[in-house]
Formats: sequence, structure tokens, C-alpha cells
Amino acid sequence: MFQVSLSQESVQAQSTYLCLDWKRATKVCPLKANFWDSIRSGSNRTSLNTPEDEEPLPQEFVLTERTQPDGTVEEIVFSSGGDVDVYDLQALCDKVGWPRRPPSKVATALKNSYMVATLHAINRSSGSEGNDRKQLIGMARATSDHAFNATIWDVLVDPSYQGRGLGKALIEQMIRALLQRDIGNITLFADDKVVDFYRNLGFEPDPQGIKGMFWYPRY
Amino acid sequence: MNTGRMATAFPAVHRRRPPVVAAIFSTPDEELERRGLSLRRTAAGLDIEALNSVFFRAGFPRRDPVKIRRALENSPSMVWLADGSSGRPVAFARAAGDGVFNAVVWDVAVDPDFQGLGLGKAVMERLVEDLRSGGVCNIALYAEPKVVGFYRPLGFAADPDGIKGMVYARKQPPPLPPGVMEGRKRK
Repeated sequence: MFQVSLSQESVQAQSTYLCLDWKRATKVCPLKANFWDSIRSGSNRTSLNTPEDEEPLPQEFVLTERTQPDGTVEEIVFSSGGDVDVYDLQALCDKVGWPRRPPSKVATALKNSYMVATLHAINRSSGSEGNDRKQLIGMARATSDHAFNATIWDVLVDPSYQGRGLGKALIEQMIRALLQRDIGNITLFADDKVVDFYRNLGFEPDPQGIKGMFWYPRY
Repeated sequence: MNTGRMATAFPAVHRRRPPVVAAIFSTPDEELERRGLSLRRTAAGLDIEALNSVFFRAGFPRRDPVKIRRALENSPSMVWLADGSSGRPVAFARAAGDGVFNAVVWDVAVDPDFQGLGLGKAVMERLVEDLRSGGVCNIALYAEPKVVGFYRPLGFAADPDGIKGMVYARKQPPPLPPGVMEGRKRK
């Protein structure tokens, strides 16, 4: 079902990764923006910055595709472009049992987040056009100083879509997108039940004994 | 409190209560003034090279000044102390977040020549108060082992209820999913 056509992409990716220090960008790589522009646009040109290259494109792509018993096709789509309806998000939070927060505050928090990543399930009917159903089934967001550090918050996946590796995919692609923007320090705070989930994704608790601390936590 | 975790219900038992009185700082504003230090809350007048030097002498790596400037522009909350005569930063702290729910404190540093005078505490107390009065209640930070004791009397608790601070530690980024070409938008 999937073409594993990675060779060109991975070669380009290799040459780009050599240019960047993923952990901490202590050197400025002058062609960095151009490398990423060329990768992002899918072309090999490395020369000029055109106006549309100045803003990084939100990444959006199909993660999985499966044909349902009724003949419809369900696609799971990842996006780092972050266009989330607060009421869709509220419905998702309800499903996972999180208490509601004032929608206006949620809207502001999303607007002030550096990155909002989503998973949507799109059910395409096999019949006529325009009968596609699009549903928000996962979200994660990151705050950041746009230079050094990002912190991931509010990771959630619709319970009926859990157990399929979608949470893993959501976080992995968010990490990719953050690293692509040269944010070298990606952090989060994990409930003890999910420390292992994040460890498997490459996160380390208390690196070098560094402790996460909260101001008068409500626990 | 929503943390970077898969959905679980969170309990609401208060273990410690935050202070409810108006903020009283360990070293009042007037005392800082008397010592010839000027309290600042924006990056106006902040010499990036001088700040980089404070960071370096306080034990941080030297970082690209362009990135430091960008970090300052995207840290809506900051408190620093300028030395009266030179205007150079001697103590600094900033926080980045979403302005509503969460903030993370970064780059807390005091010039070694000015350490031991309560200036780190002075900037931190004011930063926390600024965040709280802005309505942000979830204030987090990452503390090296030797400064966990500095943050505790300021009201910070490590690993509350087992919540762990984690950092992405792999050298390589995760791969793209199979069949996905970078830069192609879905039609």
C-alpha cells in the first residue's frame, strides 16, 4: 500500500542533519534556512529565499490509511499547522475525561502556542463527492521561546483510536517539526504512568539529575 | 494541571496552598533601589553581549546572540536587575508559555560578582508574581541538582505526585512515516 520511496529523501535529510547540532545550536549555519526550504519544497534548489520560503510550511500528511468493512476509507492525517476548533477540542477532552476549561482561555492558549499538532480521522465515502467526515482524534501542543526550548503540553488521543501507535506518531512528528525549526531542547512533564511511553520516544527523565519543579502544584 | 501526558484523570487534593496575601518580596523594591540596582521587566536597554557574559560566567554555554535576542522577544515574562551605573544585567530570569495556563522559567542567572546577595531570589519572586497576577498558575522549571534547594523556599516542588521532567535526548530526529515525502502537502 505504501511506496517506500525514501532513498532520495533520506539522502537529502542526511546532508541537512550534518549541518545542524540537534541538541544545542551553538553555531550558526548560514545556509540552514535554504537547506530546509529546499527539503520542504521537495526540490533540490538551494539558492534564493523567495518570499513564500520565509515562513515554514505547516507539515500535513497521511499517517495511515485503512479500508473499513463498509467500504469507506479512513485516513489518519497529521498536521503541525494547528487549526483547531476549540469546541472540537472540548469534545475530545470530554472523551478522555479531562475537566473543561473556559473556551476563550483555551483559544488564547492555542493561539499563544508555538506549535499545535493534530491528528484527524477522515472517512471518505466510496460513493459521491463531499461525503467525507473529518474528526479531531488527537492533539498535542508546544510552547516555546522560538529559539532554544520547547515544552510539550496537553497530549491526548481519542480513546477509540488508542493502542494503534497514533500517540507515538503524533509526538514523533511534532519532534521532527520542532527540530526542523532548530529548537534544540524539547521538554515535557510526564505523569509517572506515561514516563515509559515517552522514554520509548527518546525522552529521558531527570537528565544529569536535573529535576522538573512546579510552583505550589495543586496535588 | 495538564502536563505532557496521555489522558488520565488528575486528582485535586491540595497538599500545599499558595500564599493568598499581596506579594511581599524578600528584598523590597526600595531596598534594591537603595543598592543602586534597577528593576526591569522588558528587554529594552538589555545588552545582549553583557547578558551572554553573565550566562557564561554563571556556568551556561555561550549561545548565538541572534538566538538569545529571539528568545527574549518570545519570553513575555522576564525580570532582570540592571547595575545602576553601567546598566549591565546582574541578575536575570525569563519565562515562556501560553500566557494563560502554563509557563516555563528559563535562564535564571546571577553574575558571580553579585551572588549571595539575594538577587536570584529577588528576580524569581517577582517573575512568579508577574505570572500569577497574569493568571498563569502552572509555573514549571528545570533545576540542576545543586539549585533544587534554591527553588524550594520560593515555592517550587520537585516531581509533584511523581510527575517527571523529561528531555528529548536522541541525536537523530524520528523518521518520517513510510511513503511520506518531506514538503508535500496533502491535496
